[in-house]
Order: sequence, then structure tokens, then C-alpha cells
Amino acid sequence: MANLTERPRHTCALGGAIATASALPGTIPVLHAPPGCASNTTWTQAGGCGLQLGGYCGGLSMPGTNMQEREVVFGGSERLQELIKNAQTVMEGDLYFVLTSCVAEVIGDDIGAIVKPFQDEGIPVIYAETGGFKGNSYTGYDLTLQSLWENFIPAAAERVPEKVNLWGIPPFFDAFWRGNLEGLRQLLRRLGLTVNTFFTAEDTLAGIREAGSASLNILVSDGYGTGAAELSRQKHGIPYVVSPLPIGPAASDEFLRSVGAALGLDRQRVETVIGEENRRYYRYLDTFVDCYNDMDLQRYAAVAGDANYAPAVTRFLADDLGWLPEVVAVSDVLTEEQERAIRQRLEKLSSGLRPKVYFTPDTSEIRRCVKEHWTTEAGAKYANKLTPAFVVGSSLERELAKDLQAGHLSVSFPVSNRAILDRGYTGYRGGLRLIEDLIGVIAVNR
Amino acid sequence: MGKTIKQIAIYGKGGIGKSTTTSNISAALSKLGYKVMQFGCDPKADSTNTLRRGTYIPTVLDTLREKNQVKPEDVIFKGFNGVYCVEAGGPAPGVGCAGRGIITAVQLLKQLKVYDELELDVVIYDVLGDVVCGGFAVPIREGIAQHVFTVSSADFMAIYAANNLFKGIKKYSNSGGALLGGLIANSINAPYAKDIVDDFVERTATRVVEYIPRSVTVTQAELQGKTTVEAAPDSEQAKIYARLAQKVVDTTESKTPSPLEISQLREWAAKWADQLLALETGEVRGTAAGI
Ligand SMILES: Nc1ncnc2c1ncn2[C@@H]1O[C@H](COP(=O)(O)OP(=O)(O)O)[C@@H](O)[C@H]1O
Ligand SMILES: [Mg+2]
Repeated sequence: MANLTERPRHTCALGGAIATASALPGTIPVLHAPPGCASNTTWTQAGGCGLQLGGYCGGLSMPGTNMQEREVVFGGSERLQELIKNAQTVMEGDLYFVLTSCVAEVIGDDIGAIVKPFQDEGIPVIYAETGGFKGNSYTGYDLTLQSLWENFIPAAAERVPEKVNLWGIPPFFDAFWRGNLEGLRQLLRRLGLTVNTFFTAEDTLAGIREAGSASLNILVSDGYGTGAAELSRQKHGIPYVVSPLPIGPAASDEFLRSVGAALGLDRQRVETVIGEENRRYYRYLDTFVDCYNDMDLQRYAAVAGDANYAPAVTRFLADDLGWLPEVVAVSDVLTEEQERAIRQRLEKLSSGLRPKVYFTPDTSEIRRCVKEHWTTEAGAKYANKLTPAFVVGSSLERELAKDLQAGHLSVSFPVSNRAILDRGYTGYRGGLRLIEDLIGVIAVNR
Repeated sequence: MGKTIKQIAIYGKGGIGKSTTTSNISAALSKLGYKVMQFGCDPKADSTNTLRRGTYIPTVLDTLREKNQVKPEDVIFKGFNGVYCVEAGGPAPGVGCAGRGIITAVQLLKQLKVYDELELDVVIYDVLGDVVCGGFAVPIREGIAQHVFTVSSADFMAIYAANNLFKGIKKYSNSGGALLGGLIANSINAPYAKDIVDDFVERTATRVVEYIPRSVTVTQAELQGKTTVEAAPDSEQAKIYARLAQKVVDTTESKTPSPLEISQLREWAAKWADQLLALETGEVRGTAAGI
């Protein structure tokens, strides 16, 4: 790996933790950090989360200890104690979630000992050790979820047979988090399941507290939130299934079948839902295919995105939409095992396409890999010119798209050129949404 | 979940005899049939030497410096009679942050979840006792050790360090941290040494778990790279260590100590200085000097 990452797509672990804690219902993040941590992550979010930021006591209004040299030298315990006390008087929360920064963890403040007296008094305070150096935003997401499972969700006496928890879609760092969670919840509900998704408007802390009675945890990610799934399996005895982020019919069919199998649901029931959803999906496409063909809306594609989006979008383009993905750049630093999982998924596209796969978080490197592929292919004898082209990536792929004279849609973090509220790309409907957005870019000047 | 593991932390001033005492406790417990792990939490990384013929083992932090992922077999090594040995290690002197190093190493071992797998009965942390920052207090936090022992001689500096440790224990005593099992009095030969230590534990509401004489047997064993328990199993000293080990492992209830305020401690020490001076100049000299 290179020593330098240019324009990376991550914050530190604390950034991911802040986003995650502030996305929980009724939750106030309480930062044990020097000045700067909150504002840095807030402005990163402002620049990359589809204009979503803050919320009640999130962003710049989040309480923080504002650690100074004094706290570093003498310890920050008292300051944090004071802050937790004061936060309760001025901020209305059902859960106060203490998150630690690098500084707090280097000096070794014992957060467990600080929050315990509050907990003993029945005040809802929990904490996660999220020192920035622990990893990137996705690590912070995982650590925060782990803390929920460890400190907030009790092990249940009984399992509810058709109840599941769903995660793997990190709030804010997947700018479509709410829409994506809702899209999958809607599908799972069609199977008759009760679904806890932690972060949507419908979720409540009371519901999350009962997550321990679920029969299955569903992780729609090869990389994000795995630690929490493992912890919940060990502590609560809840098994989990891992699925790639399902976008469009091919992936959604598979998703529903894998959940059905894991829960031992009646196959007929699952197939009926799949049949109905496909019928609906293709009914919409019926009136689109003529234009798709006549207007030459097929594209060669380069896909750049995080470990969730890069493989998921590629599969959708190749196996559902009929586009031709040539290069896939996964912009995360992953373990060998995680890389292998993603590669394997991309090696069995039913369209038979075999895009080149790169793993690099570096924006310039992504641009170089894609351009190199485009010029080599175009320069070859009997060359296939790879035009017209389209780049599905993040806002950082704007230059690449310009280089290739290609259309460009930002889907993966950072998404700074779109406003996102409840939009999502998961499930069958999400596939339709993605088609609208992709074709919308091409058709915009008509 | 397996059986409950007894986790013990041993603190004390540098050079006071923590590692010597801890290793002998580990060795003695292993002979009693316990499965023991000794976890050295001193950047010096020599805690387990006498359990492993005087050799040094790769430390958790050195391993972490080389690799991103550490496997249990990279850092856990068997020593005398099957005692598992781990050294946290630390940065080179004068650089980095040794305290954070201890946090990282202890958390890493916890994450590896090997304690259950190895079916351990006892884990003993041997910790540098001048608790200079938060990192060195990690072994006594909630969820790690339940009982703390301190090794001290009758020297004022050793007692001062013990008193500081008591302050730390007291501070977190209401929030689930470890409590004090007692003081292990090391290098106690002169009668006045015993009196000093006895007086101190009485003032601070704790107890002496065992008096360990300073003995050349310990030095001889150390020179062979062995614990006294291994090198001289039948010696009087080994018997004392065995007795100590039994008491340590039998400890089920620890207490919150009452540390002295610094002014109280000074007054207390001054009073003893006067008495010792009287001994020096008086006729009792002969018995007092018995080394
Ligand atoms: N009871 C004892 N009798 C003789 N020598 C001892 C005794 N206790 C400790 N020592 C010696 O003191 C030195 C320092 O002991 P050590 O256990 O390494 O201290 P620490 O771990 O507290 O820094 C060692 O050389 C050790 O052999
Ligand atoms: Mg030592």
C-alpha cells in the first residue's frame, strides 16, 4: 500500500461513531475530546452526506468536554463527569452516549468508572471507546454498535421466531442510509418479519433495547458492523447472515432467499414475494425498454465506491440493467478475507462480465487505474473504444468522469452534489430509483 | 462461557521484587494444579524471565509493531510447569507512550479471548507500580483484575508507592474496580522492618498477606534463570512462596484501603525515623542489624 492517501473517503473512528450515535433515536452523543473533533467530523459530514447533518444535539451542538492541556496532564475524569451531569439538564435525551477521542484514550481516562455512578442512579448513560486511531469511520460505526449490544441491549430470555435485526449500512457515511434501511425493511416485512433497523424514523430506543430477542441478525455488508454481529452472536446467541447490499432484482432475490433459509421460512412464501416484486419491477421497465434501446442508453461503466456500494452497484449494472462495468475500484482498506469475499462476488456475475477490480482508498489512484484501463483498451488493435462511458462513484469521481467524457452519478461517500432525504437504492424499488437517477444524468440535456 | 477466572494484579515500586514474587506465586500455583497465566505489564518486559530459564519472550507490543494482526501463539509462551507467559512490552525508553501500550496490550489479549480457551484458573498481572498515568491503572479496572496486591518492603519509598496505589484503588472502589487483597511484605529480615510494615497496614486498614525474607536462595535461583520454587523446591523460602500463593488464590474478598494523606504519611515516616535512629545509637543495635 502507498504511504499516502490522496483525498481519502474516511474520517477517523470517532467520526463514524459520532455519526452513528447521533443517528440513534433519542440519543445525545457526549464527546470526551479536545476542541476540533466535533467540528472536523461535522464539516466532513457537511461535505459528503448529501446535505444531511447534525439533528437535535448533533453536529456542532453536540456536548463535548473540550479537553485542554489541563485535562491531558491531570486526567479528564472530573470534566467528563461534570459534562454528563450538565448535558442532562440542558439536553433532552433518552440515552447519553459517551464517545472517546484519541486524547482521552492515550491518557487512559477510565470511562467505565465515570459512567457507572450515573448508571447506578438509573441515568441512561453508556460509552464506547472510539479513539480516532482505532480505525476509520466504518470502525467507529462498528464500535458504537458493539457498545449498544454490550451495554444497552440485554440478552433476552426468549427468542421471537420471526423477528430480525438489520444493519451494515452506516448512517451518514452511506448517504442513503435511511432510505436503504427502509427499503430492506419493507421487503423483509413482506415476508412477515418484524424488523429492527436501529436508525430510521420508525425505530425507537425501546425497540432497540429488545433487539436481543431477535432470531437472526442480518448484516448487509462484507465489511461494516461485523464485530457487532460477532458480539451479538456470542453474548446474545443470535446467529447472523452476511449478504452484500442488495440493489435491484437479482441481488434482492438472493437476499430474500438467504434470509428465508436462515430463518427456515416456508419456501413458497419467499418465492411468492419474490415473484410479486419481480412482476412489479419489470412492469415499470416495460415502458422504458423501447427508449433504452432506441436512444442507446447502454453504457460502459467504471464503478468506484466503498465496500458496500462498489460490488452492489456493479452487480446491478451488469446483471440487471445490462450495462458493461469495466473497472471496479473499492475505496476501502480491507482485510485479505474481506477483499477475497468481494472479489468472489464479482467473479460470478450472471452476465458473465469480469470487470477489473482494484482496492485503493486513494482518489488519484482510482482515477489512474480507470484511465489506464480505458486508454489501453482503446489503443489496442481492433479496439473497443469503451464509449459512451459512465462513472458511478462518489463526488470525488467528477474529474475522472470529465477525463472519460462520461456521465457521472455520486452514490458512495462523499456525496456532496446531491440532496438526499429518504431516497434509497436497496431492494427492487431501489433498483428502479437507481435507473431513474442514472438515466436522468444522461437525459438531462434533452 | 467457561469457569470464572481469578484475575489478580500485583503492583509495587520498581525493583521491589514484584516479578520475583509473582513468578514464584505462578510457579507455586502451577504445582498446586492451577492453570496460570502471568502477564508482565512493565515496559522492561522481564516479568516472566525466571519462568523461562532467564530468556526474554517476544512482547505483545513488539509483535504488534511488526504485524497488524496478532495471533495468540505469537505472544503466549509456556514456561515452568506449563505456566503461560505474556509480556506487554513497550516503546523504547524516552519515546512513545508506555501507558497506552499497556492499555493496547491488555485489550488485545482480552479480544483474543484465549482465557477461556486455555481454561485458565488464574491470571496474574505484574504491573509497574508507580502508577504514573491512566494506562498503568488498566489492570485494576472493572472487568479485568478483581484483587490487587502490593509488594512492599519497609523502605519509605516502597511504602509511599503502596500508599499511592491505595489512593487509586479507593478512587475507583465505588465504580466496580478491583479492591485490595493486601500487602506482600518483601525483604523483611530486621524485626523493625516487620514493625514498620505492620504499623502501615494497620493505619491503612489492610493486612500483610505474607512476610518474605530477603534470601540468597532467591538470588541463586535467579542466576540460574529459575524461580526459587523451581530451583530450590524444598527450601524454606519456597515454602513461604507456596504459602503466599495459597493465600493469594484463596482470597475471595478484597477491601477498600484507607490511604494516608501525604502529610499524615510524612509524619508517620518521621516518627519511625526517630525510632530507627534510637535503634542505631542504642544498645539494641546488634539485633536490629541482622541481615
Ligand atoms: N526476597 C528476596 N530475596 C532476595 N532477592 C530478592 C528478593 N526479592 C527480590 N529480590 C531481587 O531483587 C531484584 C529486583 O526484583 P524484581 O522482582 O525484578 O523487582 P520488580 O519486578 O519489582 O522490578 C532481583 O534481582 C531479585 O532477585
Ligand atoms: Mg519486574
